[in-house]
Amino acid sequence: MSRLRLGLEMDGSSRGRQVRDIVHGLRSLHGVRGALLVAPDGFVIAADVPPNVAVEPLAALAATLGRDLEVGASKLGGGAFQTALFSADDGTLYLAASRIGFVVTLADPQANFQAIRGALEEAVTLIDSGWSPATPAGTAI
Amino acid sequence: MLTRLWRPATSRRPETAAELFGQADRLRRAGRYAEASQLVLRGLSVDPASITGHLLSAYLHVARRTVEPAKREFRWVLAREASHPRALLGLARLALEEGDLDAGREALVRALRAYPEFPEAQALLDGLAARRPTSPSAVPPRLDRLRLPVAARGLVVCGRDGVVLDARPATAAPGGQRVARAVTLAAAVLRRAGFGPLRRGIIEDTGEACFLRADTTLTLALALPRTTHITQGLLEVNRLWAAAQHELAIAKDEALEAPVPASTRRVS
Repeated sequence: MSRLRLGLEMDGSSRGRQVRDIVHGLRSLHGVRGALLVAPDGFVIAADVPPNVAVEPLAALAATLGRDLEVGASKLGGGAFQTALFSADDGTLYLAASRIGFVVTLADPQANFQAIRGALEEAVTLIDSGWSPATPAGTAI
Repeated sequence: MLTRLWRPATSRRPETAAELFGQADRLRRAGRYAEASQLVLRGLSVDPASITGHLLSAYLHVARRTVEPAKREFRWVLAREASHPRALLGLARLALEEGDLDAGREALVRALRAYPEFPEAQALLDGLAARRPTSPSAVPPRLDRLRLPVAARGLVVCGRDGVVLDARPATAAPGGQRVARAVTLAAAVLRRAGFGPLRRGIIEDTGEACFLRADTTLTLALALPRTTHITQGLLEVNRLWAAAQHELAIAKDEALEAPVPASTRRVS
């Protein structure tokens, strides 16, 4: 059984629903145990993770990892960081960068790699198209 | 009568800073950073000394990946409240991003001293747990004998303490240190998720795919063109991993036979 954790205001806004749908969509993939969307500052925008996983510490670490990969890619003169997966004996962590944060998926070792990778790319595309900046970055505070 | 009907609209009281910050936080929680930032600016124009406002401003800068202004805002908060745990956590994360592990660790320890029940700070501190220093090997492994695939863009091998043992080209050594740090953080996330120790990884950017193998003593990262088929990349990194383990075993055996101190062959 999984628990649904939402950092979003339950105001029925279209973006709120969209984020929930994206996280639910990833969570419903075969072999996926949990999914979350984490802001670069570690704030949990939306999460659907197993009850034995403490979401805030996980999100803090995932956001730090995501930023490390982003900054690392840019400092080393490579392209922009896109996705990463890290596997252990009992599961695999997938992480993808989006405009508003990092999409994280926790999956069984036997989960279909290509299916999850494709779903992550789709999730990032949806987020990036729905959250295009209203004002250029750097013009506000 | 008309005046009475119109009064509520025309005499609407000005928004307070607290209301503006509340609205900004709701927008931030929905990932609407630009709109949230505008509201925080308005709030700070009403109450320039608001710690909440400056903290929100810092969060939004981090969320929008603007690091220097975020640092300034966290420091502004800490100048007024030296042990503010959220500001310390924020500064710690920025220090880690910049590779300043000591500053990151120090800020996390300060945050935990002020607020011992702080799971995010504790998780990050656990993730930074110092790797055991590796004593210089008497006989350095001949990692230069590893044969890279023709398409390889680079190779980095790191020891248990994150020190780069081999980097090709040599200019890839700084990348090795970043790889070691990413591996440490990824291992911490996997532990938190209950998945066990890190074994493999793939990091993809727009130009390259970096294939990783790791255990508690060694990390090997092979950069290949992004177009490389995943199966091919995994095969190549597995081959190099086996070869590296072989070289390490040879070096260990040689060290046992001739335990003469020798300088360690390290790139950095």
